[in-house]
Amino acid sequence: MAAMALLLVSCGGSGSATGKQKQITLSAAGATFPQPFYNLAFKKFNEAGGPLINYGGIGSGGGIKSLRDQIVNFSATDAFLSDEEMAEMPGEVVHIPTCIGAVVIAYNLPGVTDLKLTPELLEGIFLGNINKWNDPKILASNPGLALPDMEITVVYRSDGSGTTFIFSDYMSKVSPAWNAQLGTGKALNWPAGIGAKGNPGVSGTISQSQGSIGYIGYEYAFAQKIPMAAVMNSAGFFIEPTLESFTAAADEEIPSDTRVMLTNSSNPAAYPITSFTWIIMYKELAYGKHSSEAAEAAVKTVRWLISEEAQAIATSVHYAALPQNASLQAEELLRGITYQGQTVLK
Amino acid sequence: MSGDRVTKALLFISSLTILLLSAGIVISLLGGALPAFKEFGVRFITSSVWNPTEGSEEYGAMAFIAGTVITSILALIICIPMAFSTSLFIAEYYNGTRTSRILRSLVDLLAGIPSIVYGFWGFYALRPLLVATGLTDQGFGVFTASLVLAIMIVPYATSLSAEIISMVPAELKEAAYSLGATRREVIFSVVIPSARSGIIASFILALGRALGETMAVTMLIGNANVIPKGLFAPGNTMASVIANQFGEASGLKMSALIAIGLLLFLITALVNYLGKLIIKRFA
Amino acid sequence: MTEINTALTDNIGRRNRTNVRFRYLVIAGAVITVIPIFLIVGSLAIKGFRQINLAFFTQPAPDTFQAMMAASTGDIIPGGIANGLTGSLLMVFLASLFAIPPGLMTGIYIYENSSQKYARFIRSLAEILQGVPSIILGIIAYIWIVKNITKGYSALAGSVSLAIMMLPLIIRSTEETMRMIPVSIREAAFALGTPYYKMIYKILIPVSFSGLATGVLLALSRILGETAPLMLTALGSPAISFDITKPVSAVPLLIWDFYNDPNMVSLVWSASLFLMVFVLSMNLLARSVASKHKYI
Repeated sequence: MAAMALLLVSCGGSGSATGKQKQITLSAAGATFPQPFYNLAFKKFNEAGGPLINYGGIGSGGGIKSLRDQIVNFSATDAFLSDEEMAEMPGEVVHIPTCIGAVVIAYNLPGVTDLKLTPELLEGIFLGNINKWNDPKILASNPGLALPDMEITVVYRSDGSGTTFIFSDYMSKVSPAWNAQLGTGKALNWPAGIGAKGNPGVSGTISQSQGSIGYIGYEYAFAQKIPMAAVMNSAGFFIEPTLESFTAAADEEIPSDTRVMLTNSSNPAAYPITSFTWIIMYKELAYGKHSSEAAEAAVKTVRWLISEEAQAIATSVHYAALPQNASLQAEELLRGITYQGQTVLK
Repeated sequence: MSGDRVTKALLFISSLTILLLSAGIVISLLGGALPAFKEFGVRFITSSVWNPTEGSEEYGAMAFIAGTVITSILALIICIPMAFSTSLFIAEYYNGTRTSRILRSLVDLLAGIPSIVYGFWGFYALRPLLVATGLTDQGFGVFTASLVLAIMIVPYATSLSAEIISMVPAELKEAAYSLGATRREVIFSVVIPSARSGIIASFILALGRALGETMAVTMLIGNANVIPKGLFAPGNTMASVIANQFGEASGLKMSALIAIGLLLFLITALVNYLGKLIIKRFA
Repeated sequence: MTEINTALTDNIGRRNRTNVRFRYLVIAGAVITVIPIFLIVGSLAIKGFRQINLAFFTQPAPDTFQAMMAASTGDIIPGGIANGLTGSLLMVFLASLFAIPPGLMTGIYIYENSSQKYARFIRSLAEILQGVPSIILGIIAYIWIVKNITKGYSALAGSVSLAIMMLPLIIRSTEETMRMIPVSIREAAFALGTPYYKMIYKILIPVSFSGLATGVLLALSRILGETAPLMLTALGSPAISFDITKPVSAVPLLIWDFYNDPNMVSLVWSASLFLMVFVLSMNLLARSVASKHKYI
């Protein structure tokens, strides 16, 4: 029995180069938000001769930890590393934005599909100050809408998440009360409502509970056909969540290391609760047991992700593509990645 | 008899696996939990504040301890009559019959369902049922979670109990019958006392499962980081908060979560010890 | 003489009635227990049946685009759970290798030395370990194996976390099963001069085989559905792989992936249905084998 076991596991051993194409295997971990897009893109790249990527959707935090422990080739995160987190890393880390996602406000109100919300309304609802749907403040922004006399049930994320981070970052920018009470973070001290696990948990809860409202990732609300509110952006327009409005939020000056939150963008066509999602990797890839072939494969994979072809794949599955300025910055950063001092991309 | 000595030594060495394992786990957990205890001291155990806001972080485990203890005990209480009657059915009344085999397989089915699926089922099927009864508003809360937990742990309590009950020697039972005892009397005066240790062990096994269950609970308990205010109010358990927050946690928060894990370890020990005391009382 | 007779026959009516009532109570309890089984299995069967075909077992998991296309045209989603299937089997096999021998032997040890304090202590340890949430064991395996041994996510780490989960279950059920063996059998063996190891191996184990099998089955059923520890150890993989030093997929991990992808939710039910049926078949098979070896 034991002998059979040993035989079986040695068969799968890596590096049995018999002259044919030796398949390189890379490990990556991180955010669940872009996972559907990444898995699809990795698969296409693999079919075209690229490496096999084992990606685990263990969350942005898990991805960051994995990178810090040097057990993956790269990670994915919805929130860029803070200066403290960068300092904790054993090496310099680069952030490569790969696509743009948005947090939408989903709700369940029988007969209502065109809800418009302002930052003040969001603050009131999520902080527990506005309790009923037919509150005059809500009616003021939604003239003519038949809002019922129903209790508002807030649904938030019970697990630490990038989605919460993006939403709270936006709210902290537009609401001093929010900033003081809850701040920005992946997990907050919510004053009211119920917590559900993961995007599916929140969207499932919202679809099952009348009168509920919560924040979820766009592709979730889209796929489950849950009504999404139009949110007033900084220019005063009520913007519906669409892929174009997300990309518009990135159409501005971004720093060279791409570490910026796109929330509350100044672009008048932008949906205000948007964010990049990044691949993070070490600038110097000779660490752990990673070979130069693995380094090259990793950089080429990430470069593929920001290429036109992959970005078209992204939009086909309802993720917003990078605007030109962002992809140019990303390319620049990739060109700076080295293996034992030598740049990987020739 | 050196062959004997070797065998005895081998058995002893194998007992070391679990010893070393437990020690290793406690040490690893202690290492991770120390920062939290240093920061909050005993207050960590008694306080029910859980504030992850940067700048004013404060963590206390009481809310989760309460949630864990309440849901597990409630689940066991709901489970005991079900498991007890089912195991008697399988191993006593209908022992050896086709019906018993079918029932046994059905109970095994329950054990094979992944805990996430219990969570889904509880969420999509059970919750609306409970809301319809009017007992609860949205259906999230201690009761829903305990109910699903009870169903989850039934196979643990039943399976082993049934096995043990069926192993009660026939001579003992027949002796009682020959004295004129009814079936029920035989069960209560012979079968149960004889199988008592095994039956209780199976219930403790089931309780242990309930204490550590994560996925199903996390979908149904409402994830409110407070001590539950009532049977149908939301709350949170230790396993659930760890599963929810561990991925994104770092620093003090991570330490607090590991400390909760350590506390769960200790609570399980406490519950086991109390269980044994209770048994001794009634022995 | 007459007092004894009347004492026994006096309340015979009441005793009989209690007897019958109790019987009905037991039957009612069993029926109530069975109801959720049908409800859950029914939900799984109805929701998951569509997706199960040959491809389900032979193809790896689909990507979100394929799922999305299928959802929009109303077709069944292509692909299957082959990568999860092979990964699960690999890790469960290894976990069993790691956990069953020490588990059985420790259980026997505790039974043989049950009067000693040390043995009782070990038993308590097993009970406590049973209650540790699986995610903590995942964290432990992450620290011990992923960070320090394989220096990366791996099937080995996954197997270790699963093995730790199996161990206490096997220890406890082994010991309890052994306890039910009449002492006379054991004494008879010694009286005939059987060496210790032979007594265990040729008498104790075969006689308690059915109970031991129950314990092992319970442990296997438990770990086949575990997700949290595998997320931190095996990570997941789109490929069918048997390399224990690399990440690997597992059926519960796939269920988690399907759950998180808005286009693939219907696969959650199919994968769960499969898992449930698999565990059931495993139980049935093992029980039929064990019943052929039942001595008591």
